[in-house]
Amino acid sequence: MSEKQLSAVEAELYDRQIRLWGIESQERLRAANILLIGIRGLGSEIAKNILLSGINSLVVLDDGIVTEEEQLKNFLLSKDSIGKKIAEEVLLKAQALNPLVKISADTSSPTSKDGTFFEDFTIIIATGLKTDFLLKIDKICRSKKIKFIAGDVFGTFGFSVADFLNHEYFEDQVKLIAKKRAHDGTETKPEKETVKVKSEIIYPELNKVIILPNTKQSVEHIKKVKRRNEYFFLMLTLLEFRDRQERNPDISNKEKDIKVLQEIKSEILDLYGIDQEKLDDGLLELVFGEIVPVCAVLGGVIAQEVIKAVSLKEAPINNVFLFDPLTYSGKEETVG
Amino acid sequence: MSSVPYSIDPRARELIPKSKVLVVGAGGIGCEVLKNLALSGFEDIEIIDLDTIDVSNLNRQFLFRKEHVGKPKAVVARESILAHNPNIKIKAYHDSVLSSDYGVNFFKKFSLVLNALDNRTARNHVNRMCLAADIPLIESGTSGYSGQVELIKKGVTQCYECLPKPPQRTFPGCTIRNTPSEPVHCIVWGKHLFNQLFGEDDPDQDVSPDAEDPEAKLDGKNSVTDSGNIKRVSTKQWAQDVDYDAEKLFNKFFNEDIKYLLSMENLWKNRTPPKPLSWKDAQDLVTDENTNNDSSVRAVDMEVWSIAKCSKVFSESINLLQHDLKGKSYLVWDKDDKPAMDFVTACANVRAYIFSIAQKSRFQIKSIAGNIIPAIATANAIIAGLVVLYAFRLLVEDYEKCNSIYLRPKSVHSKFVLAADKQLSKANPNCYVCSPQPFVNVFVNVNKLTVKEFETELLKKHLNMVAPDVVLDGKGVMVISSEEGETEANNDKILSELGIVDGSILKCDDFLQNYELTVLVNQYEAVEKDDPLYKVVANPEELKAKESKKATENGASEQKEPESDEDDIVCMESNTSEDPQEGSSSKRRKLNEDSDDDIVEVPL
Ligand SMILES: [Zn+2]
Repeated sequence: MSEKQLSAVEAELYDRQIRLWGIESQERLRAANILLIGIRGLGSEIAKNILLSGINSLVVLDDGIVTEEEQLKNFLLSKDSIGKKIAEEVLLKAQALNPLVKISADTSSPTSKDGTFFEDFTIIIATGLKTDFLLKIDKICRSKKIKFIAGDVFGTFGFSVADFLNHEYFEDQVKLIAKKRAHDGTETKPEKETVKVKSEIIYPELNKVIILPNTKQSVEHIKKVKRRNEYFFLMLTLLEFRDRQERNPDISNKEKDIKVLQEIKSEILDLYGIDQEKLDDGLLELVFGEIVPVCAVLGGVIAQEVIKAVSLKEAPINNVFLFDPLTYSGKEETVG
Repeated sequence: MSSVPYSIDPRARELIPKSKVLVVGAGGIGCEVLKNLALSGFEDIEIIDLDTIDVSNLNRQFLFRKEHVGKPKAVVARESILAHNPNIKIKAYHDSVLSSDYGVNFFKKFSLVLNALDNRTARNHVNRMCLAADIPLIESGTSGYSGQVELIKKGVTQCYECLPKPPQRTFPGCTIRNTPSEPVHCIVWGKHLFNQLFGEDDPDQDVSPDAEDPEAKLDGKNSVTDSGNIKRVSTKQWAQDVDYDAEKLFNKFFNEDIKYLLSMENLWKNRTPPKPLSWKDAQDLVTDENTNNDSSVRAVDMEVWSIAKCSKVFSESINLLQHDLKGKSYLVWDKDDKPAMDFVTACANVRAYIFSIAQKSRFQIKSIAGNIIPAIATANAIIAGLVVLYAFRLLVEDYEKCNSIYLRPKSVHSKFVLAADKQLSKANPNCYVCSPQPFVNVFVNVNKLTVKEFETELLKKHLNMVAPDVVLDGKGVMVISSEEGETEANNDKILSELGIVDGSILKCDDFLQNYELTVLVNQYEAVEKDDPLYKVVANPEELKAKESKKATENGASEQKEPESDEDDIVCMESNTSEDPQEGSSSKRRKLNEDSDDDIVEVPL
């Protein structure tokens, strides 16, 4: 049996998903080599979902140390992980999720990596990174035709931004074949037939999507879009906060951080020519900490997009996904 | 140190560690919900699930691993949560939630109940228990890429049974036995043949030609009066007498019986007549690519077998099944039992060939025969995340912020991947479960239906009661009692014998569900071939409206599709033990105006 062919064991294990996306998608998944940067609340949710889906390999890159709080909120860690390197500590439980996937840990700092490190992957997933580094990875990915998706959770808010390059994908469409006349004149029932339809989505580069104050780049192409989703600007506010403070908003510093967020928010809304009232200041109260069930939602959405990107099956959502921190609805947007 | 999240209502933060939560179901959504609860600081959790772990669960039910296959889900899920955080109090019940051990007082212990079920019966039951106990319930389900979350709270929202659900797909018996026209008809026939040969005797699953088919007698001169070919010794007895000789069996079902069908000429006036096939001729029907010796997943599961291969598999599987049957009184069909699944694949495809119907791969036939709903980790994770976000809100009775949310595949019509309703769904004032005085009209033939049939089909199967007591109003006659031995003598009596006639009122009371239902009996006789045996209608006005526009989809009436008409209707049983958790609440409902594709339902 060739390496490409699914074994009977795999067919049984992945039965319920093969019935959804087909055996070819499953074979593409099992050839995928994935890099995941950041294995905290959101990262561990993404890791769980893509490991279960049956990829070939996963490299986990994170230079963090396990804190007591992190352990309580991350199901890939156990009590004796506290104080140790997080990327290594998740390996045991991550491997148990799917013994068929090759998993490895890298505890160096993502920013210390040179360009060649990123070149060997089918797709790269990033959480918790600063904007300049996100844009740098996207550039490398573009030059090597690697797909890229980044996302974060801030309190009850979350988002993802994808660059799947020029993404070709297949969808199944059910068609009815017209009634056939049998030789004796009787009609047979119309048959249903499933046909594969190929389509393409072209993604903009990340530097056309994430434009913050002081990057001296034109935002006119974003400004001219009507009915903009205000949460896109909440996303930019939080990214800018992280860039400036080199950390996420911190509950123990809540009042000061909200003040900084307010300042950034008004700068960003000014940059994009939007009324200050469009983004309520009350939202800034909701962005503290990684809330586990929000990580579960975003981890599900991002992993599903990764699966679509790798399996070339089903239309991916547009490049930006925004989770509404008040109604818990979630919208896809095209930005850039 | 606690893991209670920031950025939520401070009162909820205080209540999380003190609140007792029940999770019903430890499958796809259940595992995810348990993880989210435990990692969000809930410290007092109970979990109930009847099921054991199967290999095909492991692609999403991430609290389980290969070495857990065969063990109870509730027990392993508990251990898995404790391994992460031993300070949580978590109690596991490996049991059915329908058991009388879990009465209204059991449900009253909890602040919240979170459903993660896969079948309608259990969902209906927990719905009633939570209404009776007045505990908020979060109902959820996924099917493939889709899913939904909804709040059910007495007096605030719709209940799970406010809107009628689309009925299970059923097929008239004569379609299965005489005139199949779709692959599914042949697959149902194949399962019935399995039961006739190896399973428990069930007269509703006859596979021989049905000479009573009204269509066969249309011209009045009734070409088939002699039923010599129909009333033979039981199929199983006959098969044993010929020692399960595959060739004899094959010729009987695919040659002689088909020839007999051909003699019912009326059936073939407007249909392609079937082609009888002998064992000998089947051996010549090979395809160019002979995949007989290729054992890869693709060849065995994904490709359509030639008829010659079907006959070979027919023979091999019969040998294995005959062997399995030794020392047992019967076998139970199971899609995961290789010879049982092989047998149905072979039979369905030979029959499809005979009736000029498209043949299917083993993989496709397994989906249909086993009623498998595709399930993925990501959709479960998303839905379970929303469930626990709503749990935070329900602790502080913030019901108004818990509108139903739908996870949907990408659509050109809407940007919503997760679409939330704009308001809570209002209760149906005529709901026969949650309205103040539950009431239904029942249309039955009081001169034909027995008390036992009334109890099993109507009260239990359709109205989802568990242990009803029924009294004939005005006369005080005890018709059905949940106490053993009290009314057994009534079982075989016809309704009218006990004085139940058109206009009678029955008071039905389910003590376990704390549910009292008034039933008004209406005399009704099935006329047409496909007429249902009985109808249940919550509001008679709806019945009138319905009949004037019969063609509306699924309908707002409580009218049920044909379910069983003596042996005339067969039903694809929904194999609920299979995909226990992610469930499929097979409901059609409206979304807010921004959404266009609003259907979450189970594919057959
Ligand atoms: Zn109701």
